[in-house]
Amino acid sequence: MKDLLTKINNTATQKYGAQYAEARAQKLYKTMLTLKEERVEAAKQGIENGVALRVLVNGAWGFASVGSFDSAILEGAVSDACRMAKLASERLKTPIKLADAKVVNDRVISKPKKNPSDIQMEDKIKTALAVNKTSLGFDKRIKSCSIDYLDLTGSSFFVNSEGTCVEQDKLYVWARITASAVNEGVFTFSREEIGSTTGYELFDEQNPESLGVKVAKRAIEQLNAKSPKGGKFPVVLGPNVVGVFVHEAFGHLAEADLALSGGVLASNFGKKIGSDLVTFYDDGTIEGAFGAFKYDDEGVASHKTLLIKDGVVTGLMHNRETAQKFNAEPTGNARAEDFRVEPIIRMRCTYMAPRDQTFEELIEDVKSGYYFKSFRGGQANLDGTFQVGIQEGYEIVNGEIGAPVRNASISGNTLETLHHVSGVGKDFLLDPGRCGKGQTAFISDGGPHIKINEVVVGGSA
Amino acid sequence: MAVLEKNTMISLAENAVNAALKKGAQEAEAYVYEGQATNIGIELGQISKTNRIIDRGLGIRVVANKAIGFAYTNIVDDAKAVESAVSSALSAAKASKPDPDWNGLPQKKPYSSTEKTFDQKIVALSSEDLVNIASTMLDAAGQVDKRVFPIEGGVGSAYISNAIANSNGITGFDRGTVIECSLATLAKEGGSVTPVCFEFNAARNYNLDPVWVGKEAAKLAVSALKTKSVETKSGKVILTQFALQDLLSYTLVNAIRADSVQRDQSPFKGKIGEKVASENLTIYDDGLFAGGLRTSVFDGEGVPHQKTAVIEKGVLRNFLYDNYSAKKEGKESTGNASRAGYLSTPSIDTTNFHIMPGNKTSDEMLSEVDDGLIVYYLQGAHSSNPVSGEFSVVATPAWKIKNGKITHCSRGVMLAGNIFELLKNVSVVGSNERQMGSMIAPWIEVENVRVIGK
Repeated sequence: MKDLLTKINNTATQKYGAQYAEARAQKLYKTMLTLKEERVEAAKQGIENGVALRVLVNGAWGFASVGSFDSAILEGAVSDACRMAKLASERLKTPIKLADAKVVNDRVISKPKKNPSDIQMEDKIKTALAVNKTSLGFDKRIKSCSIDYLDLTGSSFFVNSEGTCVEQDKLYVWARITASAVNEGVFTFSREEIGSTTGYELFDEQNPESLGVKVAKRAIEQLNAKSPKGGKFPVVLGPNVVGVFVHEAFGHLAEADLALSGGVLASNFGKKIGSDLVTFYDDGTIEGAFGAFKYDDEGVASHKTLLIKDGVVTGLMHNRETAQKFNAEPTGNARAEDFRVEPIIRMRCTYMAPRDQTFEELIEDVKSGYYFKSFRGGQANLDGTFQVGIQEGYEIVNGEIGAPVRNASISGNTLETLHHVSGVGKDFLLDPGRCGKGQTAFISDGGPHIKINEVVVGGSA
Repeated sequence: MAVLEKNTMISLAENAVNAALKKGAQEAEAYVYEGQATNIGIELGQISKTNRIIDRGLGIRVVANKAIGFAYTNIVDDAKAVESAVSSALSAAKASKPDPDWNGLPQKKPYSSTEKTFDQKIVALSSEDLVNIASTMLDAAGQVDKRVFPIEGGVGSAYISNAIANSNGITGFDRGTVIECSLATLAKEGGSVTPVCFEFNAARNYNLDPVWVGKEAAKLAVSALKTKSVETKSGKVILTQFALQDLLSYTLVNAIRADSVQRDQSPFKGKIGEKVASENLTIYDDGLFAGGLRTSVFDGEGVPHQKTAVIEKGVLRNFLYDNYSAKKEGKESTGNASRAGYLSTPSIDTTNFHIMPGNKTSDEMLSEVDDGLIVYYLQGAHSSNPVSGEFSVVATPAWKIKNGKITHCSRGVMLAGNIFELLKNVSVVGSNERQMGSMIAPWIEVENVRVIGK
């Protein structure tokens, strides 16, 4: 494979005048299951083989992707990529340049205790059924329960015209469980995701029965929940909500491509945008985490990147192109979902660093507010507007956790909200997730419990 | 790389079905997909990226003892790879559990023809042509206002074809083209940055207006620069197609899928024939709509596409079915089995979800609002409760309407409520319909929406 990819890169640089060329090949195997109410809707297996070629010609990118390892087909694709890049380059005002990257030759081998490709399909179905059964059996008001399971194994090769050559094993295990409950015209919905890059042993750490109960219990509890009052309130957020808040409200703004696109962080670099308690990282080096990997899809080693320290913006997430523009080091954030697409700047494991408070200390002086424990979804805009929907929340009344609330959301502007962070817990949790930015990336996010003095809570009451 | 011909595609599918039957499957279905796309990308105000993506593959679904197995491969030029996908599908079926509700793959039915889904002009476009379109769009945006910054966008053309065969004798082939251009902009003044504003054109035939796209994307951003707050209260809101699509696709679409209904995940269960929405609202799912972005001859199971009444004058008429959910109720599929290319088994989705236009122009709609908001983009609609329809979203941004005129922009305004209540409060339906992904819709005005100002 190395020889084939090197040959294609040489064609780009020697025959078509590319200043840089990279070739990324993948051989991936996927197993997927969908179960609904103890019915196996589909047991699926798939193979995806292909090559992505990217070239820089006169400062413009050309990219081509084909599902083939055939040398003649790849030669044709690289010629297309170079020709199109050259064409685009004719109108460039600012040619693209790349920051220097260390030349690496490495082979990354994953060492799962239980390799998902060694586990029989029957056993995977059994595990999923166990989750399904416990969830449906938890309460007769649970009306539906779906499981989506995915494991992905295989390897990827990255070779560029600078001499870097990396072969990495790929291994992901992921599952999403959803349940819905109905009672007296009230519909509720609950979701849980698990994921890991270690191996199928994930299901030893997170046993299927307790997962099923967790999802079902939340859906049932929501049946008696009320809508929150809309308006400004103090809130305490659990690690799961903090994670998505850090990811959505701040993380995307710290992706250097979005910062360059006019995001609010570009003009706030080195400035204090949050309270002293706010320290955020994007870390690709946490072993086994869903968002971790050794080398990114530009062959750059994954870093632990400090984004905010004590409220001051200190770093951004870069690929080689943005690192050059900011005169910074590439951080290993260039990721491509598969061979069909180009690498773009993506998060890895994004989290808030813990401090020293207990949960009791965080809620004790909240007279009237909310505790939001688990999120349903989140989104952000370049101007710093964020929204996080909540799937599990409670009132806080006079420093005590009160009645459950449903369908709440929080929103605000990141640059205002981070100043309102007034308490940070000493606990820490990282959750797996998937992030969409045109492509899907497997990520992790999390942090401790935190308190925010003031945030807009949306509700229908 | 030349595209695969009709005969090649069909025989790939038929051969896979025959191989599966030979290996012991009771039923089999193969779906072959090819997509060839060329894109010119705009980043940071300039054309700096190009790509050419060729994706092909075959997905095979087999049934053995009422258990379903599925496998796919993206290597279709090697008979061994296809053979091994067939074996994988069978081994998956054997590992799986029988489904007592399984009632066979669909039977063969005659296909209707479609209009305006393939345009040779799109296939013939050169990369140079696409670069020129991108450049025209960028220039148009730049001429609107100095404060506008085009952040990303592009121009893309694609050729897509698919073939299907099953063991009940279904064979089908369809091909189509799509061309699109889009631009996302924001405006900056002093330290103030607007939210991202976006416009696009997408069509099956070569019918683009890149100048309009560039200008509109830029104008919206400029109009979002000066902002003022709005008060918290319930009132009139005009939802443009962007906002409507966001709100409906996570809630209403879920509620009319037959599988949601069968699984107690729809508030519409048992309500066929009942009034569920304002009588101003009529919605069809129309897989044959001329030039529709989701128009094709057959669905993901080879069932003919059709036009299905979903809501007529506020009355719920039909749910959307694939073959499995239909047979469960002794009905016929409505041709709503959808596939993500060759990678997935079919699942129920809308084709062209057509909200029928009314007779008020957009200007008339605006002029008749004394006090309200118009919302283009929403944030957080995907965090709506898909079962109950409750939502709590941010308008990014909203524009205030006072005495029939748009007065100012407001950021961070939240809208909250329940989509099924909202459908009952639709007071005006515009005549300005346009296509947006799987939706074809005009603007709609809704009364009594909870607005949480800042």
